[in-house]
Amino acid sequence: MVDASLSRPPVRRAPVETAARVRLRRTLELTGRVLSDPTTVIGLVIIILMLAMALLAPVITTPNVPDPYQMPRDWGAVRMPPLTEGHLLGTTNNGGDVLYGVIWGARTSLYLSLLVVSITVVVGTIIGSIAGFLGGRFDNVLMRIVDVFLSIPELIFALAIAAVLGPSFANIVLALAVTFWVKYARIMRAQIIRVKQNDYVDAARVIGDSKLRIYFKDILPNSITPVMVQATMDMGHVVLVGATLAFIGLSEAGIAEWGVLVSEGQAGISSGRWWASTFPGLMVFLWALAFNLVGDGLRDALDPRTEGR
Amino acid sequence: MLTNLEEHDAIVRAPDVIASVRDLKIHFRGKRGMVHAVDGISFDIRDGETLGLVGETGCGKSVTARAFLRLVQTPPGVYAGGSITFRPRRVCDDCSGVGCRECDGTGRVAAHCPACGGKGCRTCGGTGEETVDLLSIPDAQMRALRGNRIAMIFQDPGKALNPGLTVRDQISEVFLQHRTAEILAAAGVSPNDVLLRRQASQKSRAFEKMLLAVPPLRSGRNRVDAALDTMVADALAQTQIPNPRKVMDRYPHELSGGMRQRVMIAQALACNPDLLIADEPTTALDVTVQARILELIRELQQRHKTAVLYISHDLSLVRRVCDRVMVMYAGRVAETATSQQLFRRPTHPYTRGLLGALPGRGAHRGRLAAIDGTVPELVDPPAACRFVGRCPDEVAACSRTDPPMVEIEPEHAAACFVHAPPGKAAATRPVRTP
Repeated sequence: MVDASLSRPPVRRAPVETAARVRLRRTLELTGRVLSDPTTVIGLVIIILMLAMALLAPVITTPNVPDPYQMPRDWGAVRMPPLTEGHLLGTTNNGGDVLYGVIWGARTSLYLSLLVVSITVVVGTIIGSIAGFLGGRFDNVLMRIVDVFLSIPELIFALAIAAVLGPSFANIVLALAVTFWVKYARIMRAQIIRVKQNDYVDAARVIGDSKLRIYFKDILPNSITPVMVQATMDMGHVVLVGATLAFIGLSEAGIAEWGVLVSEGQAGISSGRWWASTFPGLMVFLWALAFNLVGDGLRDALDPRTEGR
Repeated sequence: MLTNLEEHDAIVRAPDVIASVRDLKIHFRGKRGMVHAVDGISFDIRDGETLGLVGETGCGKSVTARAFLRLVQTPPGVYAGGSITFRPRRVCDDCSGVGCRECDGTGRVAAHCPACGGKGCRTCGGTGEETVDLLSIPDAQMRALRGNRIAMIFQDPGKALNPGLTVRDQISEVFLQHRTAEILAAAGVSPNDVLLRRQASQKSRAFEKMLLAVPPLRSGRNRVDAALDTMVADALAQTQIPNPRKVMDRYPHELSGGMRQRVMIAQALACNPDLLIADEPTTALDVTVQARILELIRELQQRHKTAVLYISHDLSLVRRVCDRVMVMYAGRVAETATSQQLFRRPTHPYTRGLLGALPGRGAHRGRLAAIDGTVPELVDPPAACRFVGRCPDEVAACSRTDPPMVEIEPEHAAACFVHAPPGKAAATRPVRTP
């Protein structure tokens, strides 16, 4: 008779992880890696506060009628310093409430950056993909066009377009969209040419995949990361350039936009009325800084080459 | 004076030949002219055999292999001439690919010629079996063959797997591409279910996927997914991966090199191909793993009786693995023979140089033997033997004419004047043992 203790103990199998679990675990890992960098966390916190401010604008302030994006004018309280009753951050020369401008300016900036970045990412990715994936003549023609765009300084180009189209906020969006897509096209093309040479693209052809499927399955997911990082950084950059254009006067006057507000307050700086320019200026700075920090953090977390530093 | 070209040429008259390369020329447009990377080579691959393709870097062996799947990039590559005839099989009806007496355990049977339906006609040379020229068929037909009838294992499994997809996704890809009907059958779904059929052949659009996530339709999709999972797990289990269900959810970077290569092999053999192209499948692995992977390929090859085109520059490895060997030099075939013949009696001076350079057990210490000189430039080469200048046994004729393939003994041919001068069939010199 066989002694029971000598027989093999029952094999204990490790529970099989489901695909969904694996995906969740990996997402958490990536999130953890992003959050391990304190500067990224600072950036994220600023972004979240900004977003909250933008989204809750109609709740924390009384929207101006009829157009909430227009600064309310309190002609009875012009040039009031901060901490005045009813005007926490003071008022401008024309009686505009600085706090209202700061809060609704966040909303305008969010519109501006989301619109411009989504348009440019889509356009840039498509054009860069065509150039990189098809190559040859397409590549040559498209990249020469990109070269033309890149040869003109970004700000001056946007300024020229906005100036030709006339002063309006919509034209600023258009001008920025026209100037910003080239970067994405460049990045995307370079990525695709790099990824295309990988053996797994050949391996996909070997198992009989169609070109389109190879593009969506093997090439696009493996080349999109730098575009995402650039897009995050551009969320800040777009607002910076947009505010610059608005400051010069290429948007409608009196709109609740940080650049417009800075421009409205700049005349008073020499006479000691610092607040009308400082607060919106600070907002632009914080916005651009926050997205840059997060973009940097994303790059470090996503790029295997910078891992372990 | 090619050996019985006419006789060999017709793949149709040699029923055991599944692929036949004739006078294949692949050139690359370079800055200084046409590089003749593959310059008129001819050979056959027989059903179920392992043919070794040996040569040094740049001799055209990888390009030849890639031409089978039309993977050579054009441009800069140019298919300058010749043909690759291939006889694709189909899945055996009696056993649906498992292997039965009807199909001799291979799970594959000859496909009928589409032109005559198996009666025998001019296109198929009277055999009634489908034959295609891989270099001239339309892209859609080529894609249907890739991964299905002809598969390939790459050199570096670390680079040949998409880093962003799980093992499951990469292997199911093959089934979704080529085995839609089987997936549906295994899932117990009617082949007329358009939505699920599209799902099982990867044609679903985004809105269809959303539709399939809705509860009444979801059960069907789950069944398809489960069937697919079983097929993937079976394919992985074939390559002796422990716990395939667990490995399926791993990403390539979480696996060791040997495991990755097993995944590659599972993917390549998933559809039970007629021809497997193995492009130095063990070069990127360390020696112990190498041996296991080799055994695995050998075992699977013998079980399925798949023909293998094995590319390598490691002669000792080829000796172990291959039935027949073809030695290439500078875009030409230098010598073909069975493994035994080649090692017993290497005839072409290049082959002998290669074998002489192998450090054997009995070799005395000191400098290793080497072939003097370097590989010639292949830009617009003259009509002469490619080995001129490095050959120890050169004669005057070598730099004037191309030596043709001459049969030395049955199954053994070499492209050399010296050891088989025209008129004399047998080699004339004693052969050094390696």
